[in-house]
Amino acid sequence: MIGLDVVVQALLSGLFMGSVYALIAIGFTLVFGVTDIVNFAHGHLVMAAMFVTYFLFKTAHLDPYLSLVVVLPLFFGVGALLYVLVIQRIVEAPHSAHMMVTLGLLLVFENLANLFFGGDLRGITTKYTTSSFVMGPVAVPLARLGAAAVSLLAVAVLGVFLARTTLGKAIRASANNREGAALVGVNVPRVYLVSFSLGTMAAALAGAVIVPFSLVSPFVGHEFILKAFVIAVLGGLGSVPGALAGGLLIGFVEALSSLYISASLGNAIVFAILIAVLLYRPWGIFGQAKV
Amino acid sequence: MKAFGVAALVAAVALPLVAGQHLLTAFIVALHAAYMALAWNVAAGYAGQFSLGHSLFYGIGAYASTMLYLKLGLTPWVGMFAGAALAGVVGVLLALGVYRYNVRGIFFALVTLGAAEVAKGLADNWDWIKGPVGILLTMKAAPGEFFFLRREPYYYVALFMVVALIAISLVLERSRLGQHFLAVREDEAAAEASGVDSYRAKTAAIGLSAALTAFAGSFYAQFYLYVSPETVLTFEPQLTMMLGTMVGGAGTALGPVLGSVLFSGLGEALRNLPFENTRQVVIGSKLVYAILLIVILIYLPGGLITLGRRRA
Amino acid sequence: MSALLAVRGVSKRFGGLQALSNVTFAVDHREIVGIIGPNGAGKTTLFNVITGVYAPDVGTVELRGMDVTGWAPHRICRLGAARTFQIGKPFAALSVLQTVRIGALNRIESMAGATARALEVLELVGLAGKRDDLGRHLTVIERKRLELARALATGPALLLLDEVAAGLRPNEIQEMIALVRRIAAGGVSVLIIEHVLEAVMRLSARIVVLNYGEVIAEGSPPSLVNDPRVIEAYLGEAYTLA
Repeated sequence: MIGLDVVVQALLSGLFMGSVYALIAIGFTLVFGVTDIVNFAHGHLVMAAMFVTYFLFKTAHLDPYLSLVVVLPLFFGVGALLYVLVIQRIVEAPHSAHMMVTLGLLLVFENLANLFFGGDLRGITTKYTTSSFVMGPVAVPLARLGAAAVSLLAVAVLGVFLARTTLGKAIRASANNREGAALVGVNVPRVYLVSFSLGTMAAALAGAVIVPFSLVSPFVGHEFILKAFVIAVLGGLGSVPGALAGGLLIGFVEALSSLYISASLGNAIVFAILIAVLLYRPWGIFGQAKV
Repeated sequence: MKAFGVAALVAAVALPLVAGQHLLTAFIVALHAAYMALAWNVAAGYAGQFSLGHSLFYGIGAYASTMLYLKLGLTPWVGMFAGAALAGVVGVLLALGVYRYNVRGIFFALVTLGAAEVAKGLADNWDWIKGPVGILLTMKAAPGEFFFLRREPYYYVALFMVVALIAISLVLERSRLGQHFLAVREDEAAAEASGVDSYRAKTAAIGLSAALTAFAGSFYAQFYLYVSPETVLTFEPQLTMMLGTMVGGAGTALGPVLGSVLFSGLGEALRNLPFENTRQVVIGSKLVYAILLIVILIYLPGGLITLGRRRA
Repeated sequence: MSALLAVRGVSKRFGGLQALSNVTFAVDHREIVGIIGPNGAGKTTLFNVITGVYAPDVGTVELRGMDVTGWAPHRICRLGAARTFQIGKPFAALSVLQTVRIGALNRIESMAGATARALEVLELVGLAGKRDDLGRHLTVIERKRLELARALATGPALLLLDEVAAGLRPNEIQEMIALVRRIAAGGVSVLIIEHVLEAVMRLSARIVVLNYGEVIAEGSPPSLVNDPRVIEAYLGEAYTLA
């Protein structure tokens, strides 16, 4: 019988990781909602940011949170570059082209990382990597708390941006009705560019803040994209609030199931749920069916 | 075109006379990839059903012939047909369940991906097939058990499989069923309005493609002699199938072969050449291929095969 | 003798919109019936219900004496009703011949037989010279003819034409009218949705007028021209002559 404090600890862990997953998924679902493109390379963007953060720590001894000053604008730029060079040329193409091209990007990132850093698992140790404070029955790991806090803050900032700013509204308009938005003067190509860059930046932020407690390798991207798929579908593809809810849910499910069953079995169950949602409620658990 | 094809076939048959074991291995890998691509092409290229879960069928093929051999002593020559039949049934059941809900496009792709992931997760926890540890095959060396000590026989089996599947693809293209596949791919509503049972056509496409893919899994098991969820149920086989098909030209009988030979064959050959930094070269070549993939998909969406046949 | 097509009390709602409301009419053998009405009147929805794209909420559709309500589109095509789409849907990557042959495969098992039938139909609609052209390369009128050919090749007893004359130049409209007449002369009944009133008035023996999903009038073309309900539907109350 597993003790209550172990369960609570797991829930806490789930909350923390779920917040990060939510950020990753939101970047992914934002891009899909606006441009209708499923970016298979999204998880590898997280990986790329992890490596940049790792590199900055190893060479310049820059703390991951401080290196955000570099990482965030860098990856906004990377997103913009990817959009201009590759993505904008396939926006009009069929979904199969989207999938294959972004898979190509996935392979580019993976092999670049593998080429420069090698395939070994790496990690960093900051002052707070193993610190935690005790709060009642649970120990709160600082590194994960920080990651979750920053992730949720980013989600909030993004939410405000989308709701209150002109550009944010233009983005929502384009996601809702592309032709309509264009007709009322929205610069749709620019909106696409910004959305893709924002999505990339969100992935990068998540990647940077998890480095203090994660293993870094060229192959970690796969896990992130698979989670992003599940979360985005659960929340309703294109829905930012849905991805937030879905991310937290998956965080909890992952943490709790690891107490009772093996990781791979938990994985299988998560994907079975994905299939069920796709078949019976493709607009997501939190979404609304379109007439 | 036909003369070129005959010449290529003759050259292919004669290859083992001049090629050493290393080079033959590279060709076997290329042919194996070409076969897988052709199998995926049946569903994705002809019928437009872009499945991301074909590793499921590959894995069924690999495990079925292997388990039948281990438990019943059944020769993999027969076992692989059983594997194909099983994969076909699984494919049909999956299709029947999924198409009922009219899932298509990215949703369909994700469902199939999910199915393959579920299969991998279950396989990792299934003790009867040794879970994540996998199965190491020790064959009694006999051609009758689909095991050879030299590369030449494997090469001819792989070559035969590719030629046979090219032939099947060509027959399919000219058949009523094949035309139904194309119609469904192009426009399902218009196809239905023309009397095409799209539900049946899509299911047939998945089932056929699944069975064909399974043979590749069995070949893999007999060639590498190790089967595990990490090797046959991951996204790797799926990636191989897709890369070859999309780069070469989906929906054609030769496109997938062209694309696969290019990607897999050269990669394998590079691995065997005496470079200083073999690892770097291999990764570098994968990088180049990935960029090539993107470039081709953007500027030559019909695949490399369209270079040979320019229409006005 | 029972009608070829009998639509009885068909209603269809989409969320808040009642697209069709208690629609009842029939098409006899060897008859051309027109359906007219303002945009949004529910004409294409009616076609979609008849051909099985949607099942009606209430009501029945009978084709050749059989209740086909809720049948899948391909079964209804098998039974003998073929439709064209308002926005021409050519199979973009397939050739004209391939496209029409797919229709021909509805009745003919062999590829050779289907090819022969497809060529015949292409002759009839005047696309024989374009047999190897890809769907995506056709002009507007060619697409319309291809739609018609594809539907005709399925060997229907009833042909449902959705705005075949839209977007055509005057001389092309005349050609289309002549073509539809030729097809009908071959024994095929035609149910035709049209906005180009000249075409539908000249072709139809009878016309059904839809507005807001309801049948508001039905009769021969001359009798409808001065029907106040029809005028009101198209032009609004202000124009109704007292």
